[in-house]
Amino acid sequence: MSPVHFIAVPLFAAFLIPLIGKVSKELVKIIPGIVLLYLSYLSISLFPIGVNRPIVEIIAGFNPPFGITLYYGPIAAFLTTLITLVGFVIWLYSYKFIIREPTEKYYMLFMMLITGSTGIVLTGDIFNLFVFFEITSIAAYSLTAFLRDRDGAEAAFKYLLIGSFASTFFLLAIAIIYANIHTLNLADIASKIKDIPLTTRLFILILIIIGLGIESEMFPLNGWAPDAYSQAPSPVGAVFGGIVVKAAIYSLMRIIFLMFHTADVLHFLVVMGVITLLIAEMSAMKQQQIKRMLAFSSIGQMGLVIIAFGVGTEPSVRAAMFQMFNHALIKSLLFFAAGYLVFHSGSKKISALDGLGHDKPITSFFFAFGALAIIGLPPFSGFWSKLYILLSVADAGLMVPVVLILISSIIEAVYYLRVVSRLYFYKEEATDVRRTPVSGLVAMGILTVVILIVGFYPNLILHWMTPAANDLLDKAAYIKFGLFH
Amino acid sequence: MNSIEYILFITFIGAGLTFIVHHALPKLRDTLAILVSALDLYFVIQAISEKSKVVLSIADFHLIWKTTPYNNLFAVLIAVLGFLTILYAHDFMSSKDRLGYFYMNFLFALGGMYGIVYSQDFISLFFFWEIMTWASFLLVIYCCKDAQPIGLKYFVFSAIGAYSLLIAIVMLYSLSGNLELTNLISNFSNFSVSNQLIVVTLLLLGFGVKSAIMPLHVWAPGAYFISPSPFTALFSGALSKMGIFGIGLVLFKFAAQSGYFSYVQIILAWIGGITALLATFYAIFQTDAKKLLAYSSIGQLGYIIIGLAIGTPLSIASALFLTILHAAFKAMLFMATGAVYFRTGTTDMNSVSGLIRKMPFSFITALFGIITVSGVPPLGGFAAKWMLYESLIQSRHYFLVIVVFAASTAAFLYLYRFIFSLFLGQEEKEWEDVKEAPLLMVIPMLILSAFVLVVGVFPGLILDPISQSMNYLGNFNFNYETSVLFNEWGNQVDMQTVVNTIGAVFLIVGLIITFKGFKKTRYVSTKDIHTSGEIPQENENLTYAVDFYKPFERAIAPILKSSIDKIYTGIANNLEQAFDYLRYVYTGNGQTYAMYVVFFLSLLILFAELIFGINL
Amino acid sequence: MIYYITSILLVLIGMYAVLVKKNLIKIVIGLSIVDNGIHLLLIAIGYVKNGTAPIFSKAGLQPNQMVDPVPQALVLTAIVIGLAVTAVALSLIIRLYDHHKTLNINKIRKLKW
Repeated sequence: MSPVHFIAVPLFAAFLIPLIGKVSKELVKIIPGIVLLYLSYLSISLFPIGVNRPIVEIIAGFNPPFGITLYYGPIAAFLTTLITLVGFVIWLYSYKFIIREPTEKYYMLFMMLITGSTGIVLTGDIFNLFVFFEITSIAAYSLTAFLRDRDGAEAAFKYLLIGSFASTFFLLAIAIIYANIHTLNLADIASKIKDIPLTTRLFILILIIIGLGIESEMFPLNGWAPDAYSQAPSPVGAVFGGIVVKAAIYSLMRIIFLMFHTADVLHFLVVMGVITLLIAEMSAMKQQQIKRMLAFSSIGQMGLVIIAFGVGTEPSVRAAMFQMFNHALIKSLLFFAAGYLVFHSGSKKISALDGLGHDKPITSFFFAFGALAIIGLPPFSGFWSKLYILLSVADAGLMVPVVLILISSIIEAVYYLRVVSRLYFYKEEATDVRRTPVSGLVAMGILTVVILIVGFYPNLILHWMTPAANDLLDKAAYIKFGLFH
Repeated sequence: MNSIEYILFITFIGAGLTFIVHHALPKLRDTLAILVSALDLYFVIQAISEKSKVVLSIADFHLIWKTTPYNNLFAVLIAVLGFLTILYAHDFMSSKDRLGYFYMNFLFALGGMYGIVYSQDFISLFFFWEIMTWASFLLVIYCCKDAQPIGLKYFVFSAIGAYSLLIAIVMLYSLSGNLELTNLISNFSNFSVSNQLIVVTLLLLGFGVKSAIMPLHVWAPGAYFISPSPFTALFSGALSKMGIFGIGLVLFKFAAQSGYFSYVQIILAWIGGITALLATFYAIFQTDAKKLLAYSSIGQLGYIIIGLAIGTPLSIASALFLTILHAAFKAMLFMATGAVYFRTGTTDMNSVSGLIRKMPFSFITALFGIITVSGVPPLGGFAAKWMLYESLIQSRHYFLVIVVFAASTAAFLYLYRFIFSLFLGQEEKEWEDVKEAPLLMVIPMLILSAFVLVVGVFPGLILDPISQSMNYLGNFNFNYETSVLFNEWGNQVDMQTVVNTIGAVFLIVGLIITFKGFKKTRYVSTKDIHTSGEIPQENENLTYAVDFYKPFERAIAPILKSSIDKIYTGIANNLEQAFDYLRYVYTGNGQTYAMYVVFFLSLLILFAELIFGINL
Repeated sequence: MIYYITSILLVLIGMYAVLVKKNLIKIVIGLSIVDNGIHLLLIAIGYVKNGTAPIFSKAGLQPNQMVDPVPQALVLTAIVIGLAVTAVALSLIIRLYDHHKTLNINKIRKLKW
């Protein structure tokens, strides 16, 4: 029972899966489920401990700042739980969705993604963070091209091109940090960052913003995202929106709050968040493909999260993480539903969805449900997080972002409701006899129930957000635990 | 659990259940919906005497639901109307599909409304406000493909309204750290004047959208027209009253504390006046009965807003009185139109005519409805309108009196057209086997008709709770004596005899005319008209209802032509076009994206100190 | 110093290739050059002139005479990662060529807007 399992177990499984594939194809499908179930159990049972007092795990016996450490604090506890639970639901969905061979490759890469994401969240070492980023990215590139079609390869190549830029800049930043203060431990860097000359520090900050901003889908850096989201198989879209981006944003925010926690940087984040949000929502408005629309919506939501982090007060960080949680659930639900809608209609076009509501009532219902939830309508969970973000942003005196967020919400409502209307009210189409498999429905059902429950009892999640927010904001505690555990 | 909890619980669980039951046991679905609304009605009445209060901690907020006289007034209105419309829906909707969807959203909308009226804090108010909005949106788009753009328009306007509410709420929260109504009200005078004004404006805007004040009314005609009739009755009767509910609350609990209250009042009153006048003009030239009623609804809400804005005890009383009456008579009219639609399949006034003897009860309902609208004794509209005029004159708003009077007179035109086209005139062959609507549709209509009659004769029945709720709004000591209407004739009882006399005369004259009229009726086809030598084409619609008010229409054509709707559509289209261009930044070329990255990098490096400051 | 300048030059050359060259293979080569530039930079950071390997093999050897081992470890890792990325990139190029029959990046833009 230690946080190392979050990284070691899925990594082990990832390498085991191709071997097992030689023996039994069915086993390949089941193993990731067992792994994720175990990890979910682990994350839930470790949760109270981590929230109470951060667990600092020392790898290979070298004490920090020399060895690599894992830092399992409240925010890591929260994010690992989120990743493993959403991962489990995605597995459930994939079970019948990924029928194209070779399935073992899919599950191997999926496990790598989980490894990378939990690694990003857990690690206390900046180079280690880079490595996990690369693991995640490489798995993500390959998964984007998993369907082996023309567009998948194109999207994957763009993703790879921009992703390599990200890793280059991030690595450069690490190199410069190391050249100046000779340490890679995050906590140690945080305590020594002031020793670096100002100009260099600015350069480091910019490199990190670019490097991690690419994965966090900040505006001018997110050209890869719509393509990758829309061309990857639907569960992978859910992985991107629900897991990978969350880990990326977390790492960006962790580094900024540890090393560059100043008002100007935070203002910059708010501005970037607003730009990201508005441009993404506006671009989503006239999309013709449903998954591309979802991708833009996802980018927009990340903009919202960045705004909330950028405000940088305790309530706003709490709201940001609540929004991350909700978005992970709701966007996964939408990708799931969209996956089967695309499958049933046989086309990625939104116009092909006409009348599917009659034909595929349950899947359509889930999509409609998700659409209402992501717009932020009560009584779904999205309502509370949006409300909290707005309240906290306004509390910081930033009325302009509040208005812009709401304008973007209206745009969001328009394009989502257009799709919902199409599903239910346009002409009835010829029937597609294939049915949505039970595992897919169960996966969507779980998400729906959680969204509803959290919508009625937001405290269930919010309760844990306060320690998490403090974890992110309290630099001194991080240094203290990270270095001297 | 106390009554309020029961109400909300039953309605929302009931909504979910009807959807499930629809798929499992379709027969029980309608019964369940009726049962839910009946239970609601019971508990709403129970809540009045119980004086319930619920405090619920959700997230970081205290959600407070409480009964106050003002809340009760609206809650009873919703409950009664909700019950009657659901009763009405049972037969009306029987031939439609997706009834689970219909009833679920209907009950969600109802639940949302209960939540709104009982909430004593802005979080739960907004929470339920949004539930009501999306539920009603889903009902607006229920019917067909044509409803989609209309529904979207409704939702966008609702969202603009809801979000201006939300901005105000968020501002209030950042100003006082609290969203409980009582707290905010007592703190409101501490805010700076500009903040007070912004908050009040935003709140009024938010509530105003729902009550369709001009120029934010454009969603209303379409949405009323296209939604299924039972819901239209509730929509226009109760849902739009949520706006009135909020405006009343904002005006007298918040705005009244501000130094600029009198300006707010004047502006709002004039907006109401213009709304009333223009909507009436638009109503006159509608050829569809439901559209006509929709515009009429907008106009009537204009009166109510005038009454609230003027802010004298008499005017508020008249506004609240009109609120209740409007709920009743607009529901009646929509139900009657719905009954016609149920039997004929259309609400086009150019094609339906002469249904008086086929559908006598619907006719009676429609007749009572239009009498109430036009404010002719003996029905309730008379007293309410009188009080409005009187309060306007008392408070020296002479121009507004002229506006209101003009609108009221013009209203006769469309009311006459409405009843004449649908029910009077000649019977057409096409509608020969039309029958009266089923019993369950007729009963709610007759109940409401009886209600407006009783209220017309005994206005005190309604004015008592109204004066109580006015005391809650802000120590308005309202008694009937302030009105000339009640002064002249001393008290309520005398009023009754006066009204009775007028009513009796009215009825007798009416009966004489109808009986005499019957004998002289010559049955001819509607197409049997003299055309001065021109032979009418087969496809020409020569029903007398066509071009009913042609000359008048020509006279005020300039006003009608300047459609604010077109401006909004233009804005929306241009915006969408702009968004469409914007997404061209995603060129699809990976290298361009890489270029963006490098460009952004160099930009940040160039302006590093400017952006991130030197105190990093 | 020469290492730093060389590494920065390498990064710039690589960037140029990535941003300007239209051929997918050249772009990937550009990416590799950028990577190598950064690797060189990392090595240069840990480099000590006339230093020895960081192993206490001889008596009297001071730590400041040894090159810093950490950047070398980092570079090793980074090289492996770079290799993986290049492999994925090349395999994607093969597939792109299969579908598009071209390697010109300007012509491979089916996904846009």
